[in-house]
Amino acid sequence: MTEKVRVWDVPVRLFHWSLLGLFAFSWWSGENHEMEWHRQSGLLILALLLFRLFWGLAGSRTARFAHFLKGPRTVLAYARKAADEHATDGHNPLGGWSVAALLAVLLTLVVAGLFSVDVDGLESGPLADYISFDGGRTAAEIHEVAFNVALGLIGLHVCAIGFYQFLVGRDLVSPMITGRREREQGETLDDVRWSPVRALIGLVVILALVWAVSKGFHFNSAGDV
Amino acid sequence: MNKPSFRTFAAALAVLAAAGGSLAVAASPADTIALRQANFKKMGGAMKVIKDELAGSANKAKMAGAAKTIAAMARAQGPLFPNGTGPSAGKTDALPAIWSQRPTFDGHAKKLIAEADKLVAVAGSGNAAAVGVQFKAVGGTCSGCHKQFRADD
Repeated sequence: MTEKVRVWDVPVRLFHWSLLGLFAFSWWSGENHEMEWHRQSGLLILALLLFRLFWGLAGSRTARFAHFLKGPRTVLAYARKAADEHATDGHNPLGGWSVAALLAVLLTLVVAGLFSVDVDGLESGPLADYISFDGGRTAAEIHEVAFNVALGLIGLHVCAIGFYQFLVGRDLVSPMITGRREREQGETLDDVRWSPVRALIGLVVILALVWAVSKGFHFNSAGDV
Repeated sequence: MNKPSFRTFAAALAVLAAAGGSLAVAASPADTIALRQANFKKMGGAMKVIKDELAGSANKAKMAGAAKTIAAMARAQGPLFPNGTGPSAGKTDALPAIWSQRPTFDGHAKKLIAEADKLVAVAGSGNAAAVGVQFKAVGGTCSGCHKQFRADD
């Protein structure tokens, strides 16, 4: 038995850091009215989120929703004495719901973006032509609210990591980079295992879907604007 | 007694009819702001119609109708920025620069009318590629002015 145990698979780690980078880029491009970049970045985030949902069913042990979404009693019990708890096998009971909340808010954010229209009717998401101008403006408002909620959740996420880092003395960042963490005394966890073939199949299907979304499901449009 | 009152009535009608063409003159600043915002919203909606048509079936009648709305609104907006309808008069993204650099602003307004008229012309031709090019020209006019004279939200 090695003293390190692999708790995060490669797709989870790639997902995490790509999401961070693309979220930052989307923020920047949105603020600076680089809407072509903003659309591309949003579509990539959509692909990432869909992949993460798929991976929550098909990924390694710690990637699965069934593994990290716990009932209210477990969550409360954990929250009461989070600082004294041992390192968990993947997301802790509280962090698991934080992940779920982030996924839900980010999905709302990108889906609203797909339907959003700017006030001048010049820029729009690839699916905006399926709804009215007013509907598109409402989507843009939802897009903005969801963005602010996402910022709040990300802030909370960073605070939680700071809490473990500085008050508990547990490094959560390195494992998200290397995939491994120190094995605790007497801990008998196996390394996480995942199937590259399954990941590839999911990725191909999702990229095809997102490509269709990017075209607004119009495959022979009259003009390009 | 009959005649003068009829004349007064007719005169009032004439004044009303004249005012119809330039509502802003008589309206309160708040009404003027509301009206021009409603007009901009119609323009935005019409731009979306053209964009949607270009992404889909490029319906000539729909594009032409929307182009006419844009051209009509472009003409209506010029008089809707009288003095005293800036940010101090109510909730508006119109920047004070509109009134301090009036000739530049009016230049943008004139350019919009010209580009919108071109859009009406090409929309009637039904040539989707040409409509796409002119759509971008109109859009460029919109954002050119907005960059300078509208608050960024």
